[in-house]
Amino acid sequence: MDQNQKPTSLLDTIGEEIIRILTPVSICMFLVVILVSILNNSSDSSGPSITTIASIAYSEDSSDSIWDKLKGALLNSLVFVAVVTVVTFLLVLLFYLRCTKFLKYYMGFSAFLVLGFIGGEIAVFVIKDLSFPIDAVTFMVVLFNFTVVGVLATFMENFAIFIKQGYLVVVGMLVAYWFTLLPEWTTWVLLVAMALYDLAAVLLPGGPLRLLVELAISRDEDIPALVYEARPVTDHDSVPSNGEVQRRVWRERRHIESDFIDNVEASSESNPVGSNTSNASRVSGMSLSLETNERERNLVAAEEGRVATLDSELSAPLIQHRIDVQLNLQEGPSDNSALEGIGLGSSGAIKLGLGDFIFYSVLVGRAAMYDFMTVYACYLAIIAGLGITLMLLAFYQKALPALPVSVLLGVLFYLLTRLLLENFVVQCSINLLMF
Amino acid sequence: MTVAAGIGYALLALGPSLSLFVAVISQKPFLILTVLSSTLLWLMSLIVLAGVWRAFLPFKTTPSSSAWLPYSILILSSVVFQEGLRVLFWRIYKKLEDILDAFADRVSKPRLFLTDKMQIALAGGMGHGVAHAVFFCLSLLTPAFGPATFYVEKCSQMPFFLVSSMIALAFVTIHTFSMVIAFNGYAEGNRVDQLIVPVVHLVAGMLTLVNLASGGCIIGIPLLYCMALFTLLHCGKMVWKRLADSQNR
Repeated sequence: MDQNQKPTSLLDTIGEEIIRILTPVSICMFLVVILVSILNNSSDSSGPSITTIASIAYSEDSSDSIWDKLKGALLNSLVFVAVVTVVTFLLVLLFYLRCTKFLKYYMGFSAFLVLGFIGGEIAVFVIKDLSFPIDAVTFMVVLFNFTVVGVLATFMENFAIFIKQGYLVVVGMLVAYWFTLLPEWTTWVLLVAMALYDLAAVLLPGGPLRLLVELAISRDEDIPALVYEARPVTDHDSVPSNGEVQRRVWRERRHIESDFIDNVEASSESNPVGSNTSNASRVSGMSLSLETNERERNLVAAEEGRVATLDSELSAPLIQHRIDVQLNLQEGPSDNSALEGIGLGSSGAIKLGLGDFIFYSVLVGRAAMYDFMTVYACYLAIIAGLGITLMLLAFYQKALPALPVSVLLGVLFYLLTRLLLENFVVQCSINLLMF
Repeated sequence: MTVAAGIGYALLALGPSLSLFVAVISQKPFLILTVLSSTLLWLMSLIVLAGVWRAFLPFKTTPSSSAWLPYSILILSSVVFQEGLRVLFWRIYKKLEDILDAFADRVSKPRLFLTDKMQIALAGGMGHGVAHAVFFCLSLLTPAFGPATFYVEKCSQMPFFLVSSMIALAFVTIHTFSMVIAFNGYAEGNRVDQLIVPVVHLVAGMLTLVNLASGGCIIGIPLLYCMALFTLLHCGKMVWKRLADSQNR
C-alpha cells in the first residue's frame, strides 16, 4: 500500500479531549508561577500579606516553633473548611429553592469583584515592581473595560468561547495568586484540608456537593457555577451522516427529547451562573466573604454517551455528544454508531470546576516560592493526578472530586523533591556527574 | 547569570527537543500524554534513587583519595535501576498497545502502524530526556539569575551552566533515541539492540566520571557526544531498515 496515502491513524485523534483540558490547567499554573516569580523577587519575605478568612485564627510568624506553626495552620484550615461547608450548604439550599437567577447574578458579581478588585490590586503590584509607566486614569479605564468584558463573558451563554475560556483562566489565576499570599504552613495544610473536604463533600451521602449534583441531575439542569468546559471534539468519521449528536445524562439513560433545548442553551458553551469567589476582609477594607464555587470546583462532571450496554469495563464515560443548537431531537438513541470504547472517545467535552484550577495553581505557586525544581515535580504530579481522576471517572461514572488525588500527589512530590531529590541532584551536578 | 544567558543555556539543552516536540509530538495528543507520563516515570525513578542515596551523600573525600569509587557505584546503581525501569515501561507499553488495538478494532479504524509505534517510543524517550535535562540542568539555572556566574574548578574554562547544558544535550539525545532502539529491540526480539541500550547508557554515565579529574571535561564531553552520535546513527539505521522491510513485505 502506498505509504503516502495511509488513512488517518488512530493516534491522530485519541486523547484529544484530555489535552484540551490539560492545556488551560497548564497555562493557569504557568501564569501563576510567572506572577509569583515576578512579584516575590523584590520582597524576599512573604510579600504582601493579607488578612483573610483563612488566616483569621492565627497569623504565622517566622519565629514560632514548628509545633506552633502546625497548630496554627490546622486551626486556620479548620475555620476555612467550616466556612466553606456552611456556604456550600447555603448554596444547595438556594439551588433547591430554585433561586437560579439569584445565583447567576451572584456569579457575575463575584467575577466582577475578582477581575476588578483582585485583578486591579495585582496589576498595581506588577506595575510597581516593573516600574511600568502608566497613569491612573488610563489604568482605571483599561481595568474597567477588562472587568466588564469578563463579567459579560461569564454571564452570557453565547459568548465567544475562546474569550470565555481565557477569562475563566484569568479569574483562576488571580484567585490562586491571592491564595499564595497566605503564610506557608497555612497554605499547605489548607490544601490538604480542602482535598479531604472535597473527598467528603462529593462522596459521602450527606455531602453538600453530592446533594447538589443529584438535585441537578434529577431536575436535569446544569448547576450554576463557574466551570471550565473544554471544547468538544467533533470526530467527522464516526458521527452519523446527518451530523447529529446527542447528549445523555450519564446517570440515567433517559432519552432526552423533552428537556433538551434549555439544556442546550445552558450548556452550549458555558455553565456560567454562580460562583463565589472566596475573599474575606481584605486590606482594602471590603468585608465580603464569599466562597469559591464549591459545587463545581470539585466536580469533574463528565457526561457519557453510552450507546451499547456491553463491555462496561471499557465503556466510555467521558464520551459526550454535544448537541447543535439548531438540531431537533426527535431521534432517540437509535444510532449505534455513536462512540463507545475507552474513556477517550472522540467526541466529548470534559468539564472542570474553576476551584480545581485555583487550588492546583496555588500548589504550584507555593512550590515556586521555594524553587523551580519543586515546580516541575509538582506540575507533573498534578497532571498525573488529573489523569488518574479522569480514569477513575471512566470506571465509576459518577461525579468525582478532582482535588484529592492531584493535591495529595502534589504535596507528596513537593516534600519528596524538597527533602530528597534536590540534594541528590545538586551533589551530582556540581561534580558534573550525570546519567 | 543574566536572563538572556539563562534562556540561552536552557535552549542549548532543550532546543532540539523543543523542535522535535513542536514538529512531531504536538500534532498528536496521545504523544503529548506519553511524554508527560514518561517524564513522570523517570522523575519517580530519580526520587527513588535520591531516597536510597540520601544517607550517603555528600561523600566524604579525604584530599588523598578522590571520590571515584562511591560515585561510580552511584552511577552504576542508578543506570541499572533506570534500565530495569525501561523494561517495565516496555511491558506497560505492550499492554497499552493491546488496548489501543482493541479500541481501534471496535471503532473500525486501522490498527497502530509501525510508524505510530515508533512515534510512541520516540515520545517515551523524549520524556526521559526531558526529565534528565529539566532536573539536572534547568532547575539549577533559575536560582542563579542575577549578576555573576559560577565556575567549577575542575572545569574552569567555561561557566558551570554551559558545561551542564552541553552534557544535558548529549544525554537528551542518547535517552530519546535509545528508547526507540530499545522498543524496537524488544518488539523484534533482537538481542543486539536490547543490549546496546543499557551498554550505551552505562558507558555514557561512566564517561561523566572523567569530569571528576581536573580538566577532565575537555575529554569527557567530546566522548559523550560521540556516544550520542553513535546512538543517533544506530537508531537511524535501524529505523530505515525496519521501514524498508515493512514496505517490501
